[in-house]
Amino acid sequence: MKISRRTLGLSATALSLPSLVQAQPATIKLGFTAALTGPFNEFGEGINRGAQIAVEECNKAGGINGRMVALAEVLDDQLVPDRAVQNLRRILDNREIVGLMCPSGSGPTLAIADMIQADGRPIINPQAQTPAIVYPNGLDKPPRPNLFSISISNTVESEKLAAALSQYSRVGIVHESTGYGVTGAELVRQELVKRKPGLRVTVESYNQRAQDMTAQLVRVQRANAEAMLVIGLGADFAVIRRNMSRLNMNLALFGAAGAVTMPYIEGAGDLVAGTRAVNHAAFGRRPMHGAAAKFVDLYRAKFGTDRWYGQDAANPLISLAATVGSGYDCINLLIDAIRRAGSTNAAEIVQALDQTRDFEGATIQKISFTPQNHVALKLEDLGTYEMLKRGDRVVLELRD
Amino acid sequence: MNRLRAFLSALVADWRLQALLVLALLLGAPLLSPGTVQIASFVLIAAIFAQSINLLTGLAGQISLGHAGFFGIGAYCTGALVKTHGLDVTLGVPLAVLLAGVAGWLLSFPAKRVRDVYLAMMTLGFGMVFFEVVREWNSVTGGTMGLPGVPSAALRTLSILGVKVDGLAYFQLLLLITAGTMLMVRNLTQSRIGRAFYAIHISEIAAGSIGIPAGATKQLAYALSGALAGLAGALYAHLVGYLGPESFALPRSIEVLVIAIVGGLGSIAGQVLSATLFTFLPERLQVFAEWQFIAYGLILTFSLIILPKGIGGLLFEPPRFIRPRARARAAMLRADAAMLRPADQGAALEAERITMRFGGLVAVDDVSLRLEPGRITALVGPNGSGKSTLVNVITGIYRPSAGRVRFAGRDITGLADHQVAAAGVVRTFQDPRLVPHFTVRENLLLGAHRQLRHSGVAAVLALPGATAEEAQQLALVEAVLALADLTAMADRPIDTLPYGTRRMAEVGRALLARPQVILLDEPAAGLSEPEMERLTQLIRDMKAMGLAILLIDHHMDFLADLVDDVVVLDSGRMIYRGDIAGMRGDAQVIAAYLGDEAAHA
Amino acid sequence: MMDDFFFSLLLAGISVGAVYALIALGLNLTFWTTKTMNFGQGSLMMLCAMLTVFLSSQGLAMALAVFGSLLVVAAFGVFIERWTVRPALQASGGSMGWVVSTLGFGIFLQGVAAKYFGSQAVAFPDVVFTAQDFVTVFGQYVSLQYLVVLAVAVALILALELFVRKTVWGQAVHAVSLDPELALVQGIPVRRLVLGSFMLSSALAGVAGVLIAQIGGTVDPAFGFDLVLLGFVAAVLGGMGSSMGALAGGLLVGIISKLVGGYVSTAAEHGIAFALLMMALALRPQGLFGKAEVSKA
Repeated sequence: MKISRRTLGLSATALSLPSLVQAQPATIKLGFTAALTGPFNEFGEGINRGAQIAVEECNKAGGINGRMVALAEVLDDQLVPDRAVQNLRRILDNREIVGLMCPSGSGPTLAIADMIQADGRPIINPQAQTPAIVYPNGLDKPPRPNLFSISISNTVESEKLAAALSQYSRVGIVHESTGYGVTGAELVRQELVKRKPGLRVTVESYNQRAQDMTAQLVRVQRANAEAMLVIGLGADFAVIRRNMSRLNMNLALFGAAGAVTMPYIEGAGDLVAGTRAVNHAAFGRRPMHGAAAKFVDLYRAKFGTDRWYGQDAANPLISLAATVGSGYDCINLLIDAIRRAGSTNAAEIVQALDQTRDFEGATIQKISFTPQNHVALKLEDLGTYEMLKRGDRVVLELRD
Repeated sequence: MNRLRAFLSALVADWRLQALLVLALLLGAPLLSPGTVQIASFVLIAAIFAQSINLLTGLAGQISLGHAGFFGIGAYCTGALVKTHGLDVTLGVPLAVLLAGVAGWLLSFPAKRVRDVYLAMMTLGFGMVFFEVVREWNSVTGGTMGLPGVPSAALRTLSILGVKVDGLAYFQLLLLITAGTMLMVRNLTQSRIGRAFYAIHISEIAAGSIGIPAGATKQLAYALSGALAGLAGALYAHLVGYLGPESFALPRSIEVLVIAIVGGLGSIAGQVLSATLFTFLPERLQVFAEWQFIAYGLILTFSLIILPKGIGGLLFEPPRFIRPRARARAAMLRADAAMLRPADQGAALEAERITMRFGGLVAVDDVSLRLEPGRITALVGPNGSGKSTLVNVITGIYRPSAGRVRFAGRDITGLADHQVAAAGVVRTFQDPRLVPHFTVRENLLLGAHRQLRHSGVAAVLALPGATAEEAQQLALVEAVLALADLTAMADRPIDTLPYGTRRMAEVGRALLARPQVILLDEPAAGLSEPEMERLTQLIRDMKAMGLAILLIDHHMDFLADLVDDVVVLDSGRMIYRGDIAGMRGDAQVIAAYLGDEAAHA
Repeated sequence: MMDDFFFSLLLAGISVGAVYALIALGLNLTFWTTKTMNFGQGSLMMLCAMLTVFLSSQGLAMALAVFGSLLVVAAFGVFIERWTVRPALQASGGSMGWVVSTLGFGIFLQGVAAKYFGSQAVAFPDVVFTAQDFVTVFGQYVSLQYLVVLAVAVALILALELFVRKTVWGQAVHAVSLDPELALVQGIPVRRLVLGSFMLSSALAGVAGVLIAQIGGTVDPAFGFDLVLLGFVAAVLGGMGSSMGALAGGLLVGIISKLVGGYVSTAAEHGIAFALLMMALALRPQGLFGKAEVSKA
């Protein structure tokens, strides 16, 4: 019996189809653990939302080569390192997860960094700032092969802060007694001394939620500081600002990125006028660059002008970048890499990530990675802002 | 419910089932996902940590709100030694345990002087100070940045004595360590040490009266508890591989306290169940995270009220404090009460010119007294005449303002109460101070504390020598039970028994402390007629053994046929010394005390 | 300049010390009647502050908002006595039970606040004076808001001392603190006094919460927890149960922490309070003004 070529062709296709279908699961699954609830959920729930927006946007456009993307494992660790470890183990046990995002906060991220490095699957860091997360053996040594970061690294932030502070000859740095605060302060101090060897720096630490910072402030005062930098969170920054007014301290005041959040504005009220801060430049520039504007519109459409966005529809909070935008960019980077790699194999995705060039993210205009450099955020992606009162609202205006 | 409890208790106590469970877990672990194995490892570590609280708070009654400190000492010690100094884990972990134990011992010095709220505060302070020190001591602990890179099973960087240990093998190792630890804690509970811990928990003074030193016992409790917590911490360090100060703050202390209390203080099985619950639940129920504080808070608030004995109390029978093997061995021995006769011929106790002042009040004024072996002396007087105070002076609870107490040629004035008891002078109390949860037998065995000479290590490892010694004493206990007619209720908890029985049990306990002199404070108070008769017989038996006996009491009939001589006190002064007949006729005594009773005598 | 430095620290120490004293006074009240202290006092402080924010955001006048919140918190005080302290005291577990149950209730309240008010810090408006109001003492600026705390603490101490020494009810409380059973037998309404002490203690916690929150400017669910720990230190140092002791202890803790923070290292500022606690408990557990407990053996 003569079997036509067409039949043969069709049969061959029919026979191979099942194996095609079996070889790849339908959805591409991503996962992460973050502080979804608890006192730090501003950051964890933020990157969750950013991730959701990214996934929805991707799927609406047809997914990755026809395959849908899903956030298959989203776990809550409340910024407790132990729980992050347990959660990550559970995520890693799920062999279908092909890409991950780091937890919020340096504590949990440091706790899981070795684990994920041993596993090999790609992971991108949205928020944690400690350099040791990306470069465990020092900044001059290679980074963890499969860990990439788009967060504001303490090193870059310290450069920007030092640039702003180096005009003074005596500077005080007051930091919270956590890893973030200690490392941040040390790096800024080093940068300042490098730029201006004669600069005198006084460093003081405070406990989170301390009620009174007089000891720290009078020591800074005693050192005749002309400017003061606070590295910590918004609520504590508010306490410091109020304390300063009680002590009649008037010097140039600077805050690191984590300090100029809503709690600072809410707590210090009118006193915030004149505070300068370093933060993502993306949402402060006018006009915003393409991806930033698009992200901001997507967020407003899905969630409205809520506590992450702020009340002014035209001017979203600058902190939206760090809290939500970073999650959006992480997921998009993973999606882009998987698309370019054309596979969900861990090594191939990592390779594709290492080849990322000028990817337009919402928080960073041009994201690039190389095998030696896994920190995407550069000096030009940060801006120095000044807080002003415009009418009855406090705004952050980009200065530089 | 009680049948269920009995069944479950028997189940958990059966060594074959225990071995089976361990074996099943050992062999079944490879079939579980790595995530489940890791959580199970956390459970085991939590169980060991809970045991440290069990020991200190459950047994010894010392509350601790700062146990994260010992946990952290263990973790950072092994972390620093192994990571920074390159020691092998087999050295790092035991050294960490030792250091944590020493820390516990050091803390016991200030801690043993306070109790209740003050103790809670002090341990809280300890935990907070530890946290601050960890954050500042950068060179050792890594400060706020923490200590990464500790060889860890989860990260597959752990090797013990050159052999690589992954998550699964570590779990199996942990299982063996946990099982061993549980066994040792159980042995400890059922040994003289466990009973002593419980005794000072209930009443330090009563414990002192039979020779158990409160201070030294507390120190041991703290040291052991610290060591256990340190062990948990060290094992934790090699599981997670990264140590940050946030893991050793107040929430950790609260967490372990919750686990221990909900598990049921005193119940080992309950602790394991509770540790499982509190480790698995948050991880499995992700949605639980938002409600966690609320659930946690509610559990903490009401668990002690709804389930005062925790899960352990609900599901299992109360733990017992005598090793079953010792009991079985004792059943084969026969002891005679006559064996309680003091080894030497007995010595006299002399109280010379004792004066006791409390501020402006003179409770005892220049009283002298002599107790001869084989003689019963009564000490009578109106309430407040200084009788109990005199006994307290003699037995070392108070140091007299003036005067001396001599016994067997030694000056024992001012010795601590447990030292006086060790010398052979034992007393009972106006209000029987027994351990309520202990059975009659356990309470009596407590009296024999000083006679058990085997070491702590032998007790914990349940060595044959220790068991043999316990069996010997148990046989003597049996004899005393017979003497006091308590055999029928020997295994019932003493708080379920009537007053008269408790009184007899207390005397029996005193007897087992092998006294040469025994001071009974109002032993007949509250007894019915038949009970009084039994007590009289017991006292006569003691006299026959050659003990010197002092009796404080008011029942003239009871005393009349029993005592050899009587001392009468009034307002701290001795107003009569001689025999009872003479006392009845003495004008001073009648005026001070007997009143109309003289007419009935 | 050095003098200024010292004075700033001293004044700051007095200011925060007044805060600890106020908290300690609240803790003392329940210690008088039941020999217990509410380990969840911080959550009551937080709850009152958060409710005040919530009520005033709904349009209520500030005074009404504060008053309403105080009522709620006082009601919680009743609940705490009836359902967490009393059952624990009656259980045979001993002293430890109420420590755990009051702590647990505090954690529960924290969880509820986080669930319904969110975990983030919310702005706390000025209730009495503003952050910028100050007076000058020896050339130093002293915040009026802190002076209010100090004034309230001192006024309370005077009121409490007068109450205990001069009024019949006060003497009844004194009797209960020495021997509740005897007091009951003598016809003193112990139950009512105990309830009253818890209500007052909780209301005091609320007052402290409001006054302190306005100084910091924000309030969040974890507010108060650490402050209460320091309040405990103040109470122990001064002598538990003593009003004068609460003030003395609070000032001592505040001043020493600030001086150590200023002259030695800011890192030690927090830990020194707890080191003080341990030392005090080891050397003189009854505190400065407490009486050493002597009980008949």
